[in-house]
Amino acid sequence: METLIDIVKIVTVMGILLGVVAYVVLLERRVAAAIQNRIGPNRVGWQGLLQPLADVVKLVMKEDIVPRNAHRFLHDLAPIISISIAMTTFAVIPFGDSITLFGRTIKLQIADINIGVLYILAMTSLGVYGVTLSGWSSNSKYSLLGGLRSSAQMLSYEISMGLAVIGVIMIAGSLRLDRIVEMQSGWMWNIVLQPIGFITFTVAAFAETNRHPFDLPEAEPELVGGYHTEYSGLKFGLFFLAEYSNMVVASALITTLFLGGWQIPYAAEMGLSGNLLSVLQVGAFCAKVLLLVLFFIIVRWTIPRFRYDQLMSLGWKVMLPLAILNILATGLAILLIG
Amino acid sequence: MTLIDVIFWFFAAVTLGSAAVVVFSRNIIYSAFALLFTFFGVAGFYVLLGADFIAITQLLIYVGGILVLLVFGVMLTNKVVSVDIKSGTLNAGVAMVVVSLTAGTIAGIFYATEWKTAPAEMLQPTTAGELGTMMMTSYLLPFEVASVVLLVALIGAAMVSRRDRSKQEAA
Amino acid sequence: MLPHILESAKLFYPELALTIAFCFVILAGLVTRNRIFTGLAGMAGVLAALYFVSVQAPVDGTAFSDMLAVDGFSRFFKIVILAATFIVQLFSLQSAELKSRAMGTAEYNALLTALALGMCLMAGASNMLMMYLALELTSITSYLLAGYTREAEDSAEAALKYVIYGAVASGMMLYGISIVYGLTGALDIYSVNQALGSGQVNLWTLILAGILITVGFGYKISAVPFHFWTPDVYEGAPVTITALLSVASKAAGFAMMIRFFRVTFADLIMGGQETGAWAMLGGFEWNEVLAVLAVLSMTLGNLVALWQNNLKRLLAYSSIAHAGYMLLGVVTMSPEGVSAVMIYFVVYLFMNLGAFYVVMLVADKTGSEEMSAYAGLGQRSPFIGVAMTIFLLSLTGIPPTAGFVGKLYIFSALIGAKMIGLVVIGALNSVVSLYYYVRILKNMFLKDAAPGGAVFGLSVPEVAMLLLLLVPTLLLGLYFGPLVEYAQASVSIFGIPR
Repeated sequence: METLIDIVKIVTVMGILLGVVAYVVLLERRVAAAIQNRIGPNRVGWQGLLQPLADVVKLVMKEDIVPRNAHRFLHDLAPIISISIAMTTFAVIPFGDSITLFGRTIKLQIADINIGVLYILAMTSLGVYGVTLSGWSSNSKYSLLGGLRSSAQMLSYEISMGLAVIGVIMIAGSLRLDRIVEMQSGWMWNIVLQPIGFITFTVAAFAETNRHPFDLPEAEPELVGGYHTEYSGLKFGLFFLAEYSNMVVASALITTLFLGGWQIPYAAEMGLSGNLLSVLQVGAFCAKVLLLVLFFIIVRWTIPRFRYDQLMSLGWKVMLPLAILNILATGLAILLIG
Repeated sequence: MTLIDVIFWFFAAVTLGSAAVVVFSRNIIYSAFALLFTFFGVAGFYVLLGADFIAITQLLIYVGGILVLLVFGVMLTNKVVSVDIKSGTLNAGVAMVVVSLTAGTIAGIFYATEWKTAPAEMLQPTTAGELGTMMMTSYLLPFEVASVVLLVALIGAAMVSRRDRSKQEAA
Repeated sequence: MLPHILESAKLFYPELALTIAFCFVILAGLVTRNRIFTGLAGMAGVLAALYFVSVQAPVDGTAFSDMLAVDGFSRFFKIVILAATFIVQLFSLQSAELKSRAMGTAEYNALLTALALGMCLMAGASNMLMMYLALELTSITSYLLAGYTREAEDSAEAALKYVIYGAVASGMMLYGISIVYGLTGALDIYSVNQALGSGQVNLWTLILAGILITVGFGYKISAVPFHFWTPDVYEGAPVTITALLSVASKAAGFAMMIRFFRVTFADLIMGGQETGAWAMLGGFEWNEVLAVLAVLSMTLGNLVALWQNNLKRLLAYSSIAHAGYMLLGVVTMSPEGVSAVMIYFVVYLFMNLGAFYVVMLVADKTGSEEMSAYAGLGQRSPFIGVAMTIFLLSLTGIPPTAGFVGKLYIFSALIGAKMIGLVVIGALNSVVSLYYYVRILKNMFLKDAAPGGAVFGLSVPEVAMLLLLLVPTLLLGLYFGPLVEYAQASVSIFGIPR
């Protein structure tokens, strides 16, 4: 029975995640259009709502082109690594407290592992492989440069990302994500207690997901498409999907760690409880994530791209010291205030 | 054979098989990627031993950090696929005898030894908290000395790899 | 726990001083490139550490949950190590070879203090984890320093060879440690000793582990057959570093090895009432293994040194031979033997550093380390010639130099342990060593200087430095009572009832 519940949870969450990702793509296109004073895709379905479906069909129908000198096996493997790592990270994120169905309490989290934070850091650090491998195996200079850039970028920002989380861990006194969320009841969200940690983590998350203004790996004017220049058809689609899933996962992480996860302030005062509250909490979680995703998108279309050396010096000379200072300050505060 | 046994042998096979590829492959890029699976296998052992923190750190540090840098270096090396690692076999016969004798001795001794083991009930659900406490109490000194070692290595790496600019200008 | 840590920190002042100096020199290097300033800062750290060691109360204890033993034995070796480091820092201020590298002088001086820190930790480490970490700290710093003048091709080669040998040796040692841990479930050497003493341990596995750990020690003290790196590294590294490696890192290796064998494998309480010899647990006589290493080191070191024409290489083989002599002191497995090793190290500190200092002076002035550069040195610069003669005679062990005293105590400890065969081998080896040391003397005094071999004088600091090394080498040969008393008083290892 436990296994069955787990399978149901996995299928539901993955399904929702993929659906959300597909519509995030549409959202991005519509928002971009609005910012650029265009209309955007609005033909397929009402207001273009079926556009993602059409895109998927298009990508599947396209021919899969592999460059002649590419390393075939690794070329195929790279997008699979990218997408699977993006998906597995979501497994530990609690998207709600727990729900009681047919007399059974079900935790709204796929895998409740007691070192969840470390698991997430480990998984994001593995994400580099997909990018690096695709860049190398394509045997093309644009891909290789894009792959190298993004590996260097992800490695540099991973460190500040990990250090930014430490402040949160110190406050919660636990590496469990559900515990971290429980600690942020009411308005005691970590963004209040850890403003510097929040900023460092968010900036690092932008860099980790290769999003604007850190999207140098695929800087179009210089590198064509970056590491996925030589990909087409379904494999390109997988990279595309991975990129947007990473964005959603990053938003979910920021929500969990800094924005109170599924917590709704004053929920108890309003007399909410039971399954209704749980559903509302899941809704709150989704709303927070979506707002962050919107933030990601707006940043992309409003801020210019960094130069590569600026990006590196920002990572090592600003973010890293800031993250370390944050740890010191947090430690001091805990020592003094208790 | 319980499920744990099956998992153990699976990890053992992955670790040893990929380690063999690391050593015997003539293509350095295959070696680098085979190392990835070796590290994964070892992380699996740690999980089986109940050392969750070490397992995830293994992934975080070795797979996510060190190996990426290694692959990075390999990728930056020009024409890496075509480079044959020259490892000619010298004195294969003698080496074979010596190695099999050593391996036999070690295996024999290990088989005959009664190792000191902790009872399985002592396994903690999570080891992270206890590890942290130990590092700050009874293992404080090694912890701090390790940081000095790392600092020395860091400075040394920078010292070795940095170009001597004054020399360059003079030349 | 906190009171204990604070209490331990009081015993840790010498190492703390070195750590602070290390960090300070690195930070200073960001601001200034003045090699004299950073050098002096490093020296201040080492002097402070020496001061803290000397004012420590003569009580035996452990610090940081038995990680580090603070006892007479470790204090003695720390003094030797710190004194050697200090003298080498003085060398470094003068060395022309180091001036050739414009960058990284702060790093050089910082790494020297880190090296001293690593070696002090080795002298005190009483937990196998700590031993390994201290060994790694020492090794990594040594690799870097050996390759410091990396523009010189042989320096880079030296560093690389050193890294490869070092990695294999420390890997083996770590493997050995892991086996001991598997057998006893403990890393702390006192607990390991208890577990071994209970007699539940498979002897063959223990022997395998012991041999693997011995590889690590043997590499550090460059005993045959773990010596292959020594000649190349000594030749390629800057002279200052070679000098330091030949004395201080050997001393640290010996300190760690003696403590390990004494505490881990010997019965702590039993044995020693009458003869003072240690009783080995499990009946395996580790001193036989060490005796083989000692004889091999002496013989091979001395015989190969006969053919060397490069002075640094020659001194490298001679240092292998000296490791052999000192191992003889350990082979006795008695307090007399250990105190003889300690006496030998003080003597060796002055005479060996003196010989390397002369090599450095000659290399700085003639640009060569070959035997031919020494032709007619006695006429060209009589003071250097006389000094070198005394250092070499002392290295041979001829009275009235200090080297004689060192050998005398080693051999008398061997006789006390009724190991006459080893005495004979040791004496024969000294005779062989006389031949190649005298070869240098012959070159200096009996050969005419090559045409163009300029006469060179010495500056005041150089004369002072030579005197600093020369006077103890002679004095300790004539008046060695206090040294011997101090060494015999310092053999106390924590946990061993006297």
